[in-house]
Amino acid sequence: MDVVLQQFINGVTVGGFYALIALGYTMVYGVLKLINFAHGDLCILAAFIGLTVLTSGLGGANAGALLLAAAFIVAAVAVGIAGAVLEFTAYRPLRKAHRLSAVVSALGASMLIENGIMLIWSPQVQVFPANLLPDLTWKIGSASISFVQVMIIAGSLILMAALYFYVHHTRFGTAIRAAAIDQDAARLMGINVNRVIASVFVVGPALGAVGGLFVGLYYREAYFNMGWIYGLNAFIAAIIGGIGNIPGAMLGGLLLGLFNAFAAGYVSSSWQEAITFALLIAILLVRPTGILGERVAEKI
Amino acid sequence: MVAPRPTALGRARRALGPAFWLLGLLVPVLLGGSWISILAIFAIYAIVALSQDIVLGRAGMYDMGHAVYFGVGAYVTAILNTRLGWPIFATWPIAIVVAALVGVVLSAGIVKLRGDYLLVATIGFNIIFVLALGNNVADVTGGPDGIFGIGVPQLFGTALSSQGALFYLDWLALAAVLLLMRNLERSRIGRVFRYLKEDELAATTLGIDARYYKILAFAIGAGVAGAAGTLFAVQLASVSPGSFVFTESVTLFAIVLVGGQASIPGVLLGTALMFVVPQVFRGLAQYRYFAFGIAMIVVMVLRPQGIWPRGRAR
Amino acid sequence: MTSARAGGPLLELDGISISFGGLRAVDDLSFRVTEGEIKGLIGPNGAGKTTVFNMITGVYRPDEGGIRFDGEEITGQAPHRVARHGILRTFQTIRLFAGMTVLENVLAGQHLRTRQTWWQSLLGTPGQRREERALVERTMETLQHLDLAGVAHEVATSLPYGVQRRVELARTLVAGPKLLILDEPAAGLNDRESAALNDTITSIRDGGVTILLVEHDMNVVMNVTDSIVVINFGKKIAEGGPAEIQRDPAVIEAYLGQDDEEAAA
Repeated sequence: MDVVLQQFINGVTVGGFYALIALGYTMVYGVLKLINFAHGDLCILAAFIGLTVLTSGLGGANAGALLLAAAFIVAAVAVGIAGAVLEFTAYRPLRKAHRLSAVVSALGASMLIENGIMLIWSPQVQVFPANLLPDLTWKIGSASISFVQVMIIAGSLILMAALYFYVHHTRFGTAIRAAAIDQDAARLMGINVNRVIASVFVVGPALGAVGGLFVGLYYREAYFNMGWIYGLNAFIAAIIGGIGNIPGAMLGGLLLGLFNAFAAGYVSSSWQEAITFALLIAILLVRPTGILGERVAEKI
Repeated sequence: MVAPRPTALGRARRALGPAFWLLGLLVPVLLGGSWISILAIFAIYAIVALSQDIVLGRAGMYDMGHAVYFGVGAYVTAILNTRLGWPIFATWPIAIVVAALVGVVLSAGIVKLRGDYLLVATIGFNIIFVLALGNNVADVTGGPDGIFGIGVPQLFGTALSSQGALFYLDWLALAAVLLLMRNLERSRIGRVFRYLKEDELAATTLGIDARYYKILAFAIGAGVAGAAGTLFAVQLASVSPGSFVFTESVTLFAIVLVGGQASIPGVLLGTALMFVVPQVFRGLAQYRYFAFGIAMIVVMVLRPQGIWPRGRAR
Repeated sequence: MTSARAGGPLLELDGISISFGGLRAVDDLSFRVTEGEIKGLIGPNGAGKTTVFNMITGVYRPDEGGIRFDGEEITGQAPHRVARHGILRTFQTIRLFAGMTVLENVLAGQHLRTRQTWWQSLLGTPGQRREERALVERTMETLQHLDLAGVAHEVATSLPYGVQRRVELARTLVAGPKLLILDEPAAGLNDRESAALNDTITSIRDGGVTILLVEHDMNVVMNVTDSIVVINFGKKIAEGGPAEIQRDPAVIEAYLGQDDEEAAA
């Protein structure tokens, strides 16, 4: 029973950052019907930026929580800006073109970001130093939960709640949802669709950036081509929950995290990847629109 | 495709293809050494890229896991040749048929899916395939190091063991595939693929069984890729999972888009670029792929229809 | 089972209904189309006419009721099977294949009459090439009849609207349909073109094809149809000859709030 509880805790943690990364995919797909293949790389970029801030020695030896907060903010802002720049240069010119042209552009962007990271930081795996976070653990039954896990779970929940509120209870959030349902109608209603899209490309990557830094802090490492695998997994999570559907991405992330955690106990890690994809394919065959259904721009 | 009476320009354009191919035959004579194997590999990848084009550029299905079929063909030849002692040419038709069957089986469940879902499913298949190969499934695939010591083809008792001989084999195979593509264009299935790509609903109301033709597109694309797989296994004298990873599928996908969908010169050009450009950028060492990423974005933004899009030979 | 040969109906809709979400788009609709007639299906915008067509041609499956063609049950069959029975259709919004010539578009209609197998196609066998030539010849003949031979090698979607309509029509005709379903064939045509359309429709029928059409242009409907079914809110509200329908109070009421010209035509 305690093993189950431990795996549950691990799963929810992993699910937390998968959900944050998945949200970036789902928001972009909802509005543009584009799989932003560069998204995973943007999120991992955040891990590198965050690491640089955390190891910069700023604020002296006792910078603690402030430095941590700064790392998150700097990473999120930087990646948010990168996302907007990406949309403007690589995707916006292709809005009228065949959908696949944007996909190839996205693939190029992914390559660019990955290799950019490699060039700026290093091809070697970057290790997160041990003393960045307090070394605290708490006991729940005979399972334990560490500080970083609490941080991730709490942080993810807070951000997801904030996003949900933003999308459902603010005017701009409604504009985003409108553009996701019917871009032309939204435009006719006076919604500045370009701005909506640009902001989705800021918010999505920013959230994913927090997720990416969580990944780095949790596994205490980052390497430049990590983006692909986390990106792909997060995208699977988004599909499972229902692409374009924000609660869907959250649910999908959580389910994927739980699945990963429980599968890790019973199956070797090299097969884990295969099983995740088998799960995806099974879902696609049975219920392609995902658990909570898809919500995408309908192009007639 | 059904075309009007060709003009002089049209005739000249159409002579380009055969001319380029004939020129290629002179390569072992005029150039030497490494050029021969570069062009041999080019021919093999060109065949795979053309097969990718059948599914993606012509039938309009977002296949981003095409390396699977390439790998199936390569591994079938490797296994039959090294484990069962089959001569290479005997393994070739088996490789093609098995690859085609894998294409049928994998596509059957997913052709009904909307484009992006199909794309993700094909990625999934690719990843599972490579993992299975690496894990030495059924104890025949040789694990992460793959299979070594693949033999050379025997033609009427002579072994085609020199680089030159293998090059000619690959070059002839390329010619055969080019002919096949041309026949495809001038036939019903070529048209049907285009109809399905442009407007599946309208096509079905004219009696076209969409599911059958979509699976057929995958089968043909897979079979041709499998044929290239055999050539690849022979060329390298070995196979390993690393040659068929998902990023290879991404490259094939990009070749078709960057070169020009359903455009034979475009796909050939795309293949050349995907090869030549990294070589050209080699001087940039570790900046290579960074530059490549930029190049991909720039090309797509400036020319979304591809560098050499399908044109009308008027 | 009655067959069309015995003078019975070629197409029978029997109590078909369909709902989308909570909306009942078509409600217990029944009517028949007799072989050799030109039947009109009219009604105000949003009455469900195209939905009826979509159910006949297999794009949607009715929730209730049955559709029979030439005595055979075809309810819920996939579009390509419906086409195989000899039911062909045109679309309200014209669905030609983009980037392809008129000839290539119309060749699509010959699909069901083509024999070449996939491997014959890939190998380019002499038999396959002969068939290709024959297909092109047959198609060019049809294009000639519809005065399209001159534009055979133009990209279909670059041509004027009226010409595109003729191309779509030609595409269905080469298939040799038994029943032709036309979805607003006169949409976007001027008076001269609709008059020409009337002649075309009549001559198609005289060539042995039964026609079911949806149309708003009353010049076409009243002059060309033998009988008319009127629906509103997915339900049948009247059926009869053109003259009767024009006088039917339920029909006039349904069209009030629509264009007065159309109702009084």
